[in-house]
Amino acid sequence: MAARLLLRTCPLRVLQLRGGTAARPLQRAMASAGGIPTDEEQATGLERRTLQALKQGKDPYSILKPKQYTGTKTDPHIVPSIGNKRLVGCLCEEDNTAIVWFWLHEGEPQRCPECGSHYKLVHHELPH
Amino acid sequence: MAHQAHAYHMVDPSPWPLTGAVAALLMTSGLAIWMHFHNMTLMSLGLILLLLTMYQWWRDIIREGTFQGHHTPPVQKGLRYGMILFITSEVFFFLGFFWAFYHSSLAPTPELGGCWPPIGITTLNPFEVPLLNTAVLLASGVTVTWAHHSIMEGQRKQAIQSLTLTILLGFYFTALQAMEYYEAPFTIADGVYGSTFFVATGFHGLHVIIGSTFLAVCLLRQAQYHFTSDHHFGFEAAAWYWHFVDVVWLFLYISIYWWGS
Repeated sequence: MAARLLLRTCPLRVLQLRGGTAARPLQRAMASAGGIPTDEEQATGLERRTLQALKQGKDPYSILKPKQYTGTKTDPHIVPSIGNKRLVGCLCEEDNTAIVWFWLHEGEPQRCPECGSHYKLVHHELPH
Repeated sequence: MAHQAHAYHMVDPSPWPLTGAVAALLMTSGLAIWMHFHNMTLMSLGLILLLLTMYQWWRDIIREGTFQGHHTPPVQKGLRYGMILFITSEVFFFLGFFWAFYHSSLAPTPELGGCWPPIGITTLNPFEVPLLNTAVLLASGVTVTWAHHSIMEGQRKQAIQSLTLTILLGFYFTALQAMEYYEAPFTIADGVYGSTFFVATGFHGLHVIIGSTFLAVCLLRQAQYHFTSDHHFGFEAAAWYWHFVDVVWLFLYISIYWWGS
């Protein structure tokens, strides 16, 4: 089967490329004239959605490290969520080994029961 | 439509891990049966099952990544870690055979004549075919790098040409080495020299064949437009593996062919 694939794709293309002529027009219009598609042209599914979102400066799938906030009342930690509550694990100080877990609900910002940092739930939709 | 809020790939249930495990069982027990009862059936069955497993599992991975878009940047990163760890394990595999070679060659026993190469062994001239083999693999390292840059720069024709050349060089190495094996004045049964020589170079040759196959699959995929200029990890993995094969040969050449002659 692999041999059939090779016979199907290689010799005709190699002949065309060697001859420098297009026996038939390129089947795909490539923005990249070299003939190899770009992610913009060919990425699909979740990969495409993540790349498109990152290009717009958004990170709906939490790929990047979360933004740093001071956690004060005026600059609370923003916690994105697709629902109306999300688990938060507060590492009150660097190098702490005990994480403080609590549910963050939408509405008024809540404070960590241990260190008092402010957290605010912000709703966001997943791209479809 | 998947509604996950993370960028990872939760794989669908698949039968291939099970068939792979069954294949491993059949091959190992089949090997024992072959050795004791001269019957190759079980081992051959295991081998066929292994080949089917590899074909279908990797085909599924290509479907999931290239056609369904599940290989997001974090998933790709995981695949990179995986390939690096696998190659590292192979480095340790070869380290063992180099250990065996140096163990026997640094302190040759009286049975060998107290010297290395042992009495009665006519070694191969390192400046004949082995040197050509070294040049062939080094050149293939250049062509595979050329192929990588071609892909990154979006040059389809050059990518196909350089990748094809790399594979041809790999075949040339294999052919030369096969001829060397046939013409060699010593065999694997010729004491510890024969054992260390053929086991180390033999496993290396097997890895050349595996690497060439991997590159050939990449050539087929490149021809069918699977790779984009930014996302072509399958090719990168094959190129890493090929460089690893090249480096192992360099160590083999310096240690066994040159120093050991």
